[in-house]
Amino acid sequence: MRYQATLTVNGIPYPVEVEATASLLRVVRDVIGLTGSKEGCDDSECGACMMLLDGRPVNSCSYLALQADGREITTVEGLAPGDGLAPLQQALLEAGGVQCGYCTPGMLISATALLSSNPRPSEDEVRVALAGNLCRCTGYTNIVSAVLRASEGHPAGTPG
Amino acid sequence: MATVEEPRAAEALFIRPDGKEKVTGLGRYTADLNLTGQAHAKLRYADHAHARITRVDVSKARALPGVLAVLTHEDVPDVKYGGMVQDRRLFAKDKVLWEGDVIAGVAALTAELAEQAVSLIDVEYERLEPVVDFAAAEGAPLVHEDWESDSGDDTMGRDGNRIGYSTIVKGDADAAMAEADVVVKGRYTTDCSQGVPIEPRAVIAEWHGDRVTVWSSTQVPYAARAGVATVLEIPESSVRIVVPLLGGGFGAKCDFHFEGHVAALARAARRPVKLVFSRREEFVAVDHRREGMVIELETGAKADGTIVAHRGRLVLDKGAYCGEGGFFAQMAAMHACGPYRMENIFVEASLNYSNTQPSSSIRAPTAPQTCWALEQQIDELAHALGLDPVELRRRTLIEEGAEGPTRQVFEKLGMKETLERAVEMIGYGRELPEDEAIGVACGWWPCFGAPSGAYVQLHSDGTGTIITGAQENGTGAVMAFPILVAEQLGMSPGDFSLLYQDTDAAPWDMGSCGSQTTFNSGRAAIAAAVEVREQLLDAAAAKLEVDREDVELVDGEARVKGAPETSVTIVDLVGEGGPFHGKGSGDVPEAPECDAEGCVGRLGMESFLAPQLITQAAHVKVDRETGVVRVLKVAAAHDSGVIVNPMGANGQVTGGVVMGIGQALTEGTQIDAEGRQRNPYLLDYKLTTAADAPEIEIAWVETPTANAGPKGSKGIGEPPCVATSGAIANAIRNVIGTPVRQLPMTPERVWTATREGNQ
Amino acid sequence: MSTFVQATTVAEAVGAMSGGARPVAGGTDLVVGARQGKAPLPESIVAIDRLDPLRGIELSGGRLRLGALVTHAEIVAHPGVLEGFTALADASAIVGSHATRVHGTIGGNVMNASPAMETGGPLLCFDASATLESVAGSRQLAVAELLAGPGETTARADELLTAIEVPALPGAGSCYARLEYRRQMEIAVVGATAVIVLDGGLVTDARIAITALAPTIRRVAEAEEALRGTDGGRAAAEAAAEAAAAASAPISDVRASADYRRAMAAVIARRAIEAAVARARGENVPVPASPALHGAV
Repeated sequence: MRYQATLTVNGIPYPVEVEATASLLRVVRDVIGLTGSKEGCDDSECGACMMLLDGRPVNSCSYLALQADGREITTVEGLAPGDGLAPLQQALLEAGGVQCGYCTPGMLISATALLSSNPRPSEDEVRVALAGNLCRCTGYTNIVSAVLRASEGHPAGTPG
Repeated sequence: MATVEEPRAAEALFIRPDGKEKVTGLGRYTADLNLTGQAHAKLRYADHAHARITRVDVSKARALPGVLAVLTHEDVPDVKYGGMVQDRRLFAKDKVLWEGDVIAGVAALTAELAEQAVSLIDVEYERLEPVVDFAAAEGAPLVHEDWESDSGDDTMGRDGNRIGYSTIVKGDADAAMAEADVVVKGRYTTDCSQGVPIEPRAVIAEWHGDRVTVWSSTQVPYAARAGVATVLEIPESSVRIVVPLLGGGFGAKCDFHFEGHVAALARAARRPVKLVFSRREEFVAVDHRREGMVIELETGAKADGTIVAHRGRLVLDKGAYCGEGGFFAQMAAMHACGPYRMENIFVEASLNYSNTQPSSSIRAPTAPQTCWALEQQIDELAHALGLDPVELRRRTLIEEGAEGPTRQVFEKLGMKETLERAVEMIGYGRELPEDEAIGVACGWWPCFGAPSGAYVQLHSDGTGTIITGAQENGTGAVMAFPILVAEQLGMSPGDFSLLYQDTDAAPWDMGSCGSQTTFNSGRAAIAAAVEVREQLLDAAAAKLEVDREDVELVDGEARVKGAPETSVTIVDLVGEGGPFHGKGSGDVPEAPECDAEGCVGRLGMESFLAPQLITQAAHVKVDRETGVVRVLKVAAAHDSGVIVNPMGANGQVTGGVVMGIGQALTEGTQIDAEGRQRNPYLLDYKLTTAADAPEIEIAWVETPTANAGPKGSKGIGEPPCVATSGAIANAIRNVIGTPVRQLPMTPERVWTATREGNQ
Repeated sequence: MSTFVQATTVAEAVGAMSGGARPVAGGTDLVVGARQGKAPLPESIVAIDRLDPLRGIELSGGRLRLGALVTHAEIVAHPGVLEGFTALADASAIVGSHATRVHGTIGGNVMNASPAMETGGPLLCFDASATLESVAGSRQLAVAELLAGPGETTARADELLTAIEVPALPGAGSCYARLEYRRQMEIAVVGATAVIVLDGGLVTDARIAITALAPTIRRVAEAEEALRGTDGGRAAAEAAAEAAAAASAPISDVRASADYRRAMAAVIARRAIEAAVARARGENVPVPASPALHGAV
């Protein structure tokens, strides 16, 4: 059965009609057309599909779209203010934390969630927080240093 | 098209041209594209790893409403294809040879309908005994019954289930072994493993009359183009391959894969057709994995460490089809010798068919496993000689003037310097807790000379575009081309945009494989820029009324040397018209001379062009009771020649080391007796996470290298994962006192070795 | 074609379930399970994630009440759980990834009934009970009786797990430890729980459970017996751990062989016991215990 729902993604309400079993990822990508969130495994093991749901990171491949009705959804497309880049995005670019970029949207979501709840994480806290986001390119080194650079009180300052 | 951002800081800050679209989520990967009216494809795979097909009935699938096309071998040309041996068809015809063999393809209005249609295809089989034990494939039932009629490279030494056989022969290893003071033997086995790019592959095909455009997540668009042309029997000029952003490859997206299936389906469906793989398909259906191996080594040395004799017998699992991996036997044989001075050598390597997933290039194919075995062998030899393993390496590693396995005489290279830098960074020899230790491993990897081509054109506002056939797989190699081109023209990297990954736009290129992009494609981009430079100098000389030899290009201007006030801006020069576009290829470096007369199965790997040299040292902690190993730090010292883009180069090392850690400890594909993968999903095929990745310290030994790439650079991308598992293995051995001779060195295997070593 | 109801009251939820609907909260196990082909997504789904009565952690009158929607992250952050039910915090702290822990619920974890689930051992050792509601009413059932086999519970299909109640065990030190190949994104290859009460330096109460070593997580009476009356020292811990290993019935699978699992049962059980004893003595063993016991940096 298809159901009406309103998914609020990056502050914009989208009225959608979706199957009961449709995942949040499918609806955001295929119905709403925001393809920044990626499908890498479809079973919550890689984190490429991560979005914020009411501020908390969720593997959207394993979450029913209808359950997100009325909640605040943030995807990677919603992280940048206006035309600019969020400090985390800028830090990721400057630190060389982007290679193929496929894990990047999920990484940014996880890191955003971390810094909002823990603005001054230790390196190990960053590593644990990002463990649900697999990256095959970078070895994580430059991603972790980017998150630390974007954190409060870091010597490098908040870039951007 | 992408443009380079201006550097934000005074120091050489490199922001990749494709970075902004990647961090904002606006960049498009293949699966993100949708074409109007597109249908969705699903493939029907074999139900057995080895079986004769007795009947295929697609009538129910074709009758399902919403199904637009169902194709089997009957619906496409009867063409066999493959890299060095043409042993495969688009759709299986008489037999299926592995669980990922494709029997049929379906295009339907939705992916769900296509899936349903696939399940409605009736296939009947006569099950055959699968050849799973590749080491015993000789004498087993033939995987390819008609192998003799398959066309292929005659130098491979094909014989039944053995698709390749190569030897490295130097001197008289038997006689020398008898004279050695110390002889050590070791037998090592490795599981096959996987590339696991985070982006599962996707392909979309759309026909325009007799021409087809294919958007594909491939590392090698030109090979994909040739593949489509071959299997559909159409001209290459009728095929255009476009690669949107590519979500990693690691070799797994090399070679021609599924572009032919999707193009055929799109032609039959008369619509664009899109295929997107699930993670399971990315494990099971992809004809690319790292090969399993059995490696037997015997090494004899004099008391001073001189390696007088080295014998090796290697068997490699080719899996069901050749693909591009036909050269693996010789490559493995070279790695079984390694970057050591060895006086006498006999190494033989067999590459065997089996009824499992095909092995093909995964990041430095054959090297990490062979290096892992050889480096443990070198440590065992050191222990037997009573020498420190690092000291033995100091005495035996290659250096300028040394002879390689086939008497290639090396020019200046930094092998020993990488050893010294790595042991210094890791703090070799210091006191550690009893459950921690350091291990060291050395390795090497060749550069591959190949043709490439590029165009550079300047625009009226003084900016320019680089058009290249090179493929960016994420490493940033193509992203660094503006640095190379701008340098030739006295311009800024930010002045250039890139047009790439479109086979209609640029000349042929080998693709992102063999660590060759900077080495070959970069050379082509520079050559094209040099043509433009000549044009600018001519125009400037005319404009300034001076000799062109007196003009230089600096900071966006053409200036008279020594009189910089006499100048004209490049914007002004270009604005006045005239041809400001260049094309270039550059000269392809040739393989070094060697003496390989006594070797068989010579496929071009018998000497190593501009070898990249590696020492890695790993500091590990072993939980002896459980066998769980944590890697605390890796020090990586590499000679990749002159480094063009330090941030990009470092990113290759950190990424390669962490991939190497996974291959060392947790990444192994398990195969059951029926030839099926037991762990084709990420919970039980375990990549290293951010929480498990260690500190990685990097040193570049920038040896200016003869016959190298741009600015004296060599390749970079593959070596970082070559020595990691060997270094970890030696560190584990130094804790538990006994080698772990199975890869990956899982907790259970480390625990077993610990117990057996203690008995 | 599946149907979907967003329940706003417990009555509405159990009503839907009486009509055959399956509940979904965080969604993780249900949706992933369907994708992996374990079980197709149900014909009828009732979302229970907005049922406020199923939320919240309460600790009063010597009982810990966990609403079925309590997440692993909430469990780990609760001072009362950390203090009195430390093993449960150990377990929730190492479930999956950060995203799993902020959305995955204790109710979903229990009803998924995996023999490898992290929270099962602690719940068994603390004699937790489950509250099941249906249109017919409500009943309490020991978690030990609820878990019936891999992926199976004794709950009827129309019963909704609404809460887990855990009686406090004053003075107890407890620990859940697992064998893990990676620090995160893991599932127990072998797990063990120990709950220890000391009085005058002697063990007066000991509860031991083993995880991923049998079709269900189970308590091991022989191991508990081996600890009672001892000082909880190394010898006693080893004897109990050996008993735990002897009671295991491990399988060989893609993660480990039965032999290795059995050997690890003794190691991991001993570590859990030692950590629980240390905590019972008031010593600090960080939560989660597993990484520290595994030689993490």
